[in-house]
Amino acid sequence: MGVKIILFFDFHVKDDPELVKEADRLGYAGLALFSNGNGNNSSGNENKVEVASGETINPENSTKKENPIKTYKGVFISARNPESMRQKVKKSRKNADVIMVRGGDQKINRAACEDPQVDILSAPYLKRRDCGINHVMAKKAALNEVAVELNIKYLTKTNSYLHYKVLSHFREIIKLKRKYGFPLIITSDAESIYGLHTPQDLIALSGCFGMDREEAEAALSKTPQKIIERSETRDKVVVDGVKIIE
Amino acid sequence: MKLKILPPHLRNKKRYLAFEVRSQNPLTRDEVISLIWGAAGGLYGSCGVSRFDLWVVKVWKCNSSGQNITKGILRCRREEVDRVRSVFPVINRFKGKRVVFHTLGVSGTIKSARRKFIKEGSQSLF
Repeated sequence: MGVKIILFFDFHVKDDPELVKEADRLGYAGLALFSNGNGNNSSGNENKVEVASGETINPENSTKKENPIKTYKGVFISARNPESMRQKVKKSRKNADVIMVRGGDQKINRAACEDPQVDILSAPYLKRRDCGINHVMAKKAALNEVAVELNIKYLTKTNSYLHYKVLSHFREIIKLKRKYGFPLIITSDAESIYGLHTPQDLIALSGCFGMDREEAEAALSKTPQKIIERSETRDKVVVDGVKIIE
Repeated sequence: MKLKILPPHLRNKKRYLAFEVRSQNPLTRDEVISLIWGAAGGLYGSCGVSRFDLWVVKVWKCNSSGQNITKGILRCRREEVDRVRSVFPVINRFKGKRVVFHTLGVSGTIKSARRKFIKEGSQSLF
């Protein structure tokens, strides 16, 4: 009987060696770490974390696992208007693996969807009464392969009597995803070990907002892998569709 | 006269979920139960939870290296395992302190759930 091994990723985690260790225990294959400061400050911390995680995890699990958890460097961009968002994205693209733009504002949501340099649009429904995405943005996001984030912390942080609202936003996004086919990503947005959950639990939870198992697995595994693949080959791409082959 | 028990084909099929709780404050059995019931009721409502057939079988305290870890076994109906599992990520606070639930695994019997997922370091039952 063949067992399919799926590698799970969490692409929105605060950078903290303890969190990396916990995520490894819970069965994640990789994390994208975001520090609270801007892109320039995070670069120093990032190297430290990678070293620290490698050191602490290897000796413990050396018998169980050959390869330790992978960490990627993320930059979180929160901008006030589309122009400054584009500038910040351009500036931090070179030294980041994953670029995430904070959504919420309709104009920024749209600008992020239209920019192929952006990897993830974080929480387009943030502080909004609708899901923050419409058919126009969905088309653009599919074209530019901008992943839309479903943030589990946003769900747990809202009051329990308002859970229905967040779940209905998620449902709306999934409806658009089925029609236009932009990538979805489920992230925990964890700031401490109390924010992390096992991938299987998240898959079970995604059934709550109408995702089936395959979609949920793709959101936790396929989309992050594609993002990393794209960021690795990004330097070689000259124009859209033209790549330098060595 | 011996009373007749329900024949096996009419009984509900069960599954046992082994879970683990990490919390800032130590939790008692009653607090674990109220957390699960509260979250399940909040997410699915009375109508949904009535279908789960939930029952906390046993709870162990297994603190290690300064962390409050509680492990336990939760019984539910076989068809509803995924929905019961989805309750866990929703639980995040208890009396203002952080709490997190993880599923350790699903099993068909209490014995194997205990052997596979709870294991050593869990002497003090309550």
